[in-house]
Order: sequence, then C-alpha cells, then structure tokens
Amino acid sequence: MEENKDEFYIGYLDEVPVKTKKSIKRFVLFSIGVIIIIATVFSLTQNTFKNSTFELTTSTKIMGVYHEMPYPMLKVKTSENTFKNILLLGFGKLSVNPYLNKIRKEVPELSGSMLSIEGNLIYYNGKTLLQVTSDEKINLIETANSKRLPISNILVEGIELKGEVIDPKCYFGVMKPGKGKIHRSCAVLCISGGIPPVLATTDENNISEYYLITDQQGQPIHKEITPYVGKPSLLKGNVVQIEDWYQLRIDVNTIKDLELPSRIY
Amino acid sequence: MGLDYQTVLWNKQKKTYDKWIAITMLIYLICFIGITILTNPETSIETLIIRAFGTLAIALLHIILAIGPLTRLNPKFLPILYNRRHLGVSMFLAALVHGGFSIFQFHSLGTTNPIYALFTSNIEYNSFTNFPFQVLGFFALIILFLMAATSHDFWLKNLSPKTWKRLHMMVYIAYGLIILHIFLGALQQQPSWGSIGVLSLGFIVITSLHLSTAFKESKLDKSKTSHVDDGWEYVCTTDEIPEDRAKIFIVDKERIAIFKYDQKLSAISNVCKHQGGPLGEGKIVDGCITCPWHGYQYLPHNGQSPPPFTEKVSTYRLRLIGKKIYVLPKALAEGTAVEPVIL
Repeated sequence: MEENKDEFYIGYLDEVPVKTKKSIKRFVLFSIGVIIIIATVFSLTQNTFKNSTFELTTSTKIMGVYHEMPYPMLKVKTSENTFKNILLLGFGKLSVNPYLNKIRKEVPELSGSMLSIEGNLIYYNGKTLLQVTSDEKINLIETANSKRLPISNILVEGIELKGEVIDPKCYFGVMKPGKGKIHRSCAVLCISGGIPPVLATTDENNISEYYLITDQQGQPIHKEITPYVGKPSLLKGNVVQIEDWYQLRIDVNTIKDLELPSRIY
Repeated sequence: MGLDYQTVLWNKQKKTYDKWIAITMLIYLICFIGITILTNPETSIETLIIRAFGTLAIALLHIILAIGPLTRLNPKFLPILYNRRHLGVSMFLAALVHGGFSIFQFHSLGTTNPIYALFTSNIEYNSFTNFPFQVLGFFALIILFLMAATSHDFWLKNLSPKTWKRLHMMVYIAYGLIILHIFLGALQQQPSWGSIGVLSLGFIVITSLHLSTAFKESKLDKSKTSHVDDGWEYVCTTDEIPEDRAKIFIVDKERIAIFKYDQKLSAISNVCKHQGGPLGEGKIVDGCITCPWHGYQYLPHNGQSPPPFTEKVSTYRLRLIGKKIYVLPKALAEGTAVEPVIL
C-alpha cells in the first residue's frame, strides 16, 4: 500500500494501511512502556510486609496443657522450665470452640488436661497461634491436673494504652497486612466469629506488645468491641500477665476512638 | 452486520488485538509480581494476586477510557477502537480476580454471608474517612460485569443502541467509584506519592482528552449553515469535500454527512446504526459508505446497508448550484432513496 494513499482502516479486512500500522505499533509500544511504569510504581510503593508466617500447607502436632483464661490456649513446653502459650483458633474466621465440643464431651474437666493437637502454625514477633481444622486432630494425653495451669498476676491497674484492636489470626500471619482500614472488615468478622480480640501497641522504640482483651471480669469479648476494630483507639483497664501473654481487662464502653489515620501501633 | 450471532466473529485483526491484550496483561503481572517478590519478599500469594490484578484493572481502565477521545482526535487510533470490547472484557476479568479474591479473603469463611458481610462488617457509611471502601469497589465491579456481559452485538441489537450506549457510558461511574475505592482504601492505609501521582496523572490525562474532544465536537456543533429563502441551506462548495470522503454539517439540529464519490454527491445521517459511529469520518469503500468504527456499510444514495444486512439511516436531498452545495434540512425516512447530485 502506498504511503500517501488516503488510508482507511477496516477491522474485518486482513490488511492494515501502512501508516496506520506504524501508528498502532507506536501506540502499543507506548502503552506497554506506560504499563511497565505503572506496575513499577505500584509495586515499589507498597509498605514493607512483616515476616509473619502462616503454615497453610504444613500440619504440626503440638502437645501441651489446655487452658481457657478465657480464650482456649495450649501451654507447650519449649525447653526445661520454659513454656509458650499457643492461642488456639478455628478454621477461617471462627473460634476453636466448635472443634473442642467433641473432646469436651469425652473429658468434662478439660482445663489442665494434656492434649495433643494437630493444626497449622501461625507465628510472628514471639507469639504463636494454631489453627485447628478438625476435632479428630485433638487427642487427650493426660487427664486434668490444675497444677499445670498457668498462673495469672495482676500487673498494672487502670492503665491507658493506645493501639489498634486486631484479630490475632490475620495479624500474626494469615494476612498481609492483617491490620488497618483495608483489613477492618475481615477483623470484624473474625472477632465476631469468636477469634479473641487483641490490642497491638507500639512504643517510641518501635517495640510492639500485644494484649488479649477481655471484659473486667476476665470473660471473653467479641461483638461488643467490633466498632473499634482496625482503628487507632485508647483502651483503659487492668493488665494481667498469664506467663508469656498479657491480658487487658476493660470496660468496652470506655474505649475511645482516637479518630486518627488508620495505622498500626 | 447483526444478522445472526456467533460468540466472537474472529478475524485476523481481532486475533492480533487479543494477542497484544494478553501480552500487555502478562507483562504487567510479571513486572508487578516480580518487583514485589524481589523488593518485598515477605508478601503473601493472596495479597500479591489481589494487588497485581487490582492495579492491572486500573491501568487497563485508563487505556480503555483514553481510546474513545483519542480516536475522535486522530483517526489513526481507530484500530484500537475496533476491538475495544475485548479489552473491556479483559479488564473486567482482571477486576473480577481482584474482587473475587478480596471477597473470599476478607469476607468469606465466617459466620455471615460474604456479600452481606461486605455491606455490614463496616457500617460507618456516615463517615468519609472510615467509609466502607469495599462497597464502592463492589458496585464498580457490578457495572463492569453488566458491561462485559452485554458487550456482544446481540445485546446491542436487543437492548437498542441507545440503551446499550447509556449502559456502557456507566463506565465513567465505575471509574469514579474505583478512584474513591482506592483513595478510601489502599491509599488511606499506605499513602504514597508515587501511587497518588500515577492515579492523578491518569485522571488528568483522561479528563484532558475528553475535554479536547468535547471542544473539537462543540466547534462542529456551533458551525452554521447559511439559510436561503426556499428552505435549502448552503453548506460548502464541492472542492471542500475530498473524493470518497465526506464533510459533516449540522442541519435541523442533526449531524449529516455529505459524501463525494464517482462524480456524485449524497447526504445521509452522520450516526451509524451500530454504535453511533461518525459515518462522516468514514470512507466510500466498494461503493458503500463505511463506518470508521467497525466497518458497517451503507449505500450512499439510500442509506441502506447492502443486502443481506438491514440497517438503515436517514437520507437528505441535495442541490448543486455551480460549485455550491445546498441541503434540504428535513430528514427523509430511513432508507429513502434519493437521486445523487451529479457533479
């Protein structure tokens, strides 16, 4: 086709006029260049992801002392006189409680019992959680012995803590990021579904601490706290230490929404 | 041209077009995923998929929105308009992967129905900063779905071109919803000048192209023809219309195209029956006026598509005095034969 011909493109014809073809080649190359720039900018401007881990495809069997203070945990011996309390969670956005019903029927006095549980580990920043997906993977090893239960101590009374109420399952590994506004709806569903609410705080040295949130009597809180989930908030209450976990006992009605930009503390 | 329908009427150009859509999408995904893994290796596969496909959909949407005005400003871009629907469907699929994964990740596997949870897990609809941004993305995805689902000519014909066009103009509502979805979601949690800059630049480019097109079109709409006493209007001289091409005028508030071909002149409505393409920017090919958008054809003397096709557009009477062309502004019934003016 001659260069100076009055070109006209018709899509269903096989031939594309010469000058039109050149223009389209330039447009396609330009678009690909733009696409690469956009991909580069969007990928490079993401916040750094945490090195949290969720072992979705790996099952781990752990053995330890079951307790509820008030949330189900397994106290696991990691070395001589050293224990780690592993928070137990159910599949998806659910509590572990439905998976414990079977063994609760078999063992009425479950707290203090030695159990072996197989599930998927979640861990980050010194905290470990276990996702349980089947009641068949929970087995009794030894019957209850209250001496094996962790000791709780009131550490501080009337403390005010700024932080974000998170759902620990996502925060400690299942999702990245498992915090902030993007994740708020998910965290609300997790906590409504029975996953314990946790207050994540960060001090001026960028050291984070985590508090399992309960009511003033140390009983579980779930739906009542959802208006504050995923938002910077101020919580006031008593801190109780249960070995390697802190518990913050609060009156939900005293939580203050700090109305600050959504970010983790 | 709308007589019977196949899923896709493949031809060489469509295959080439689709090949480049796939290559472009693949390049984007490889770049985004590769750079993220290299620079931010602690990411998770779910987050990578959600973000890669979400940002890909935004990038494609900008290209799609630029195509319309680009072709109005420069006909050399017409080939990218020809198969824009496939690009639109590809963009919807990318958005669907983003939305589908997000709904599964953030709203499923709980005690509540995921769609119900999407609307109710954050109910701060009265707050701008805490607004549930997911809802905006959901409605945008519904619009994109409706557009993708009705993109075939079957729906164009059955919904009527006017309704179809209105439905597909909702892409601008989807664009607005998506921009808000991003600014009230991802960019609120991790604001970055780079991402804000890309989106702002995209908005400026799209808006500028549309304003430029609107300015160009408004100049045409404002152009006046000269009234003469007996109802005829003077439009131009024969020299002003290139051979096998047309010139567009506004008469009786309608755009008409006057074509010059084979030492003859004919006038028809400027609006193609297929998607409202500008017939006056088309060309006489094989004796037929050929629409620049998708190649729909009409016979110049009667505005009818050649058999077996059935589309018809209005025709107009012309008169030639010396080299001066006059038109009778009243449109004749669609498909009415009018003897061409002989030059």
